[in-house]
Amino acid sequence: MKNSIKVERAKKNITQADLAKLAKVSRQTINAMELGKYVPSTVLSLRLAQIFEVEVSQIFTLEESD
Amino acid sequence: MNVRYLFPNKFKNIGWFILIPSVVIGLVTHILDYEPILLDFNVPAIFIQEFLGDKHFIGIVNNNILNEILGVLMIVSSLLVAFSKEKSEDEYILKIRLESLVWAVYLNYAILLISLLFIFDLSFLWVMLLNMFTILLFFIIRFNWQISKLKKSVFYEE
Repeated sequence: MKNSIKVERAKKNITQADLAKLAKVSRQTINAMELGKYVPSTVLSLRLAQIFEVEVSQIFTLEESD
Repeated sequence: MNVRYLFPNKFKNIGWFILIPSVVIGLVTHILDYEPILLDFNVPAIFIQEFLGDKHFIGIVNNNILNEILGVLMIVSSLLVAFSKEKSEDEYILKIRLESLVWAVYLNYAILLISLLFIFDLSFLWVMLLNMFTILLFFIIRFNWQISKLKKSVFYEE
């Protein structure tokens, strides 16, 4: 699965630490998601969508291997 | 994320505070075979097999309780160290926790299998003794190592 968290974050002009606070997770988790090392839960995905004010499917997209 | 099966973060330090001295004292007293007489007690037992004798359930035996005390302290404190929340416990840390636990069980049983095949008779008592604590020990080492790796990894950014 690919995600555009880094892009959305840039659009909003907030740091990983800011986003971590808003999403109620650690900064390491944001970092791991941006690097594609961690696939978030549905709850966290929805929370991110809410923060970025977009649909979940605009942040996360399936890849062929999924 | 609200997880009900983990202890609050402060119990982790309490755990370390008990675990380290009890491991040191436990190892030293076991190797030196030290059993202070004032800890000799008649204690209730669920199962008894007398030396070269018969087996029966429920009874009283005379026993030095030093190793029981240390064993309880070690097990309880390593549970606290292993299963207290991190300061910033979240779903990614839960995933690392789960992976570390599976990894620790694999490693523990790999070592147990090798010991079962190549360590015999009375020597095997050492294996059983250490094996009481190794799953949690392997978990604690692996989990904390992964967490510290994670904390270091985050310095790239922005």
